[in-house]
Amino acid sequence: MLEVLIKSAILIGGIMTAAAYFVLLERRMAAWVQDRIGPSRVGIPLTNIRLWGLGQPLADGLKMIFKEEYTPGHVDRRLYVLAPLAILASAIATYAVIPFGSLIPPIELGDYKSAGPIQLTVAPGVDVGMIYVFALSSVAVYGVILGGWASNNKYSFLGGLRSSAQLIAYELPMGLGILGVVLAAGSLNLETIVAAQAAHGWFALVQPLGFVVFVVAAFAEAARLPFDLPEAEQELIGGYHTEYSGMKLLLFLVAEFLHMITASFLIVILFLGGWHFPVITGDPDAETIGWLTAIARLAVLHTKIFFVIVFFMWVRWSWPRFRFDQLMNLAWKIMLPLGLVNFLAVAILEEVRHVHGPDESSLAWSLAIIAVAWAVFALAWLVVSVANPLVTDNRPRRDLSPGEIDSQI
Amino acid sequence: MKSDDPHIKWIKEPELGLAGKMYLPLVAQGLTTTWKHLAKSLRGETVTVSYPDQEPAIGNPLIYRGVHRLNKDEQGRVKCVACFLCATACPAHCIDIIAAESPWPDREKYPEGFAIDELRCIYCGMCEEACPVDAIELTSLYNLTGRSREEMIFDKEKLLSVYEATKHTEPMQSPALGGTAT
Repeated sequence: MLEVLIKSAILIGGIMTAAAYFVLLERRMAAWVQDRIGPSRVGIPLTNIRLWGLGQPLADGLKMIFKEEYTPGHVDRRLYVLAPLAILASAIATYAVIPFGSLIPPIELGDYKSAGPIQLTVAPGVDVGMIYVFALSSVAVYGVILGGWASNNKYSFLGGLRSSAQLIAYELPMGLGILGVVLAAGSLNLETIVAAQAAHGWFALVQPLGFVVFVVAAFAEAARLPFDLPEAEQELIGGYHTEYSGMKLLLFLVAEFLHMITASFLIVILFLGGWHFPVITGDPDAETIGWLTAIARLAVLHTKIFFVIVFFMWVRWSWPRFRFDQLMNLAWKIMLPLGLVNFLAVAILEEVRHVHGPDESSLAWSLAIIAVAWAVFALAWLVVSVANPLVTDNRPRRDLSPGEIDSQI
Repeated sequence: MKSDDPHIKWIKEPELGLAGKMYLPLVAQGLTTTWKHLAKSLRGETVTVSYPDQEPAIGNPLIYRGVHRLNKDEQGRVKCVACFLCATACPAHCIDIIAAESPWPDREKYPEGFAIDELRCIYCGMCEEACPVDAIELTSLYNLTGRSREEMIFDKEKLLSVYEATKHTEPMQSPALGGTAT
């Protein structure tokens, strides 16, 4: 019990601080890409020490807390308050099953003695871990749509509808991306999935198609550019949270950042090997673990996550936003079929490996499997590109008579 | 406009090649562009000027239109002859001159009072152009601050002190009228 409380305190404190500092990093990255410097002046309060702007998150938080919290008239007050709570609660609750490290050696603290190596997951050994994550990420849609509906504002409502359509559409390819991993690892438990990758190779190598589908869907689920239609600052003035201010707005923004961090955790854990890195992270099958290995695994996991988040931010300034019809076409006409192809390929390859393959640890056999997977990836990508379902020509047809054209318009 | 209007020119979209259809060149292009800027900024080549710590580079200080000054001649007397040309030219009506009989033999009038409301001024430089004796000039001082409106009405002494402060960095402009600029 005590162990769980301490672990959740560390985790919640950690991700909240991380979210605050990732906001700072995001602003600095934005500035760098645009040849600016970015926030670099706020340091330790009441002194002139600047510390490269590291005090900025504190100042931002204080600003948000002391801002006037204005509730517009005619809003549905209960739902209006419920929406940010729902979205933040679901974003934090996701972390219950996400491993934020591997194991640490047993700890003795005064009278307290832990029963064995401590697993760095708040709720270790949840066999439906992946389904739990998936279910909670769907609850986020409630926050979005409730916020848009309760605000009693047409634009917020449109923003809420757009984002719920987007989140629901991309849950399918995301699920298909996960399905391949689950099939290959033989478990929904996130720790087992990491262990399987430590034994058989990272799934990003073995299932490149699933990786691409999952990453694209994760970008869309986290509502990051190029899929940030729910917010679309330039078009919707913030979409579903236009009518929110002060702390409630802060909750929405934090929840959005937590979604990005969750997405990075999932990308790393499901496809990039979690805490595993050749040589330096020790024997993955060992029951016990030394402090050095434990710290190496923690460092590897969090470095990977950091780089994935930096990639998220880099992409934000690189690619323009999709139009809504392109977004839907991408989800239903490209990502869904690609996900199915990946699922089929993984199913066949796993079957071949388990039933007809020689010894499982044979290197040549593993390389052959990877080569086939990449061939499937290249072929599927090529077919999709040639079919080009994203392009829709919605101009009036010129082979019709003028009257017919006018009725079309 | 009807769609069969002969004035409409129908243009076909250019066909994408296979590479373009596969999105890869565009994806790579976007990432490289931002990466170049990111790397450049990390090397410190940003366009930002951290203003209070760092003074912005202004172009030619002789052309810049900042705070006014009243020039003095070689004997330290105010050059102004209180002809009111600057006050007449001023589109913002911010120049207030009180003329008096000159104590010196080489001119008839001199300004007893000369005040410019720096808040009304639009820094157009027309007073400088109008002045026949190059007495009023705009300097390159841009960081003009004050705590009240009254403080921002610069009188003769203040304008002469601006001259004292800037005469070394910004010489007077026309040599024919005693200026030292080349």
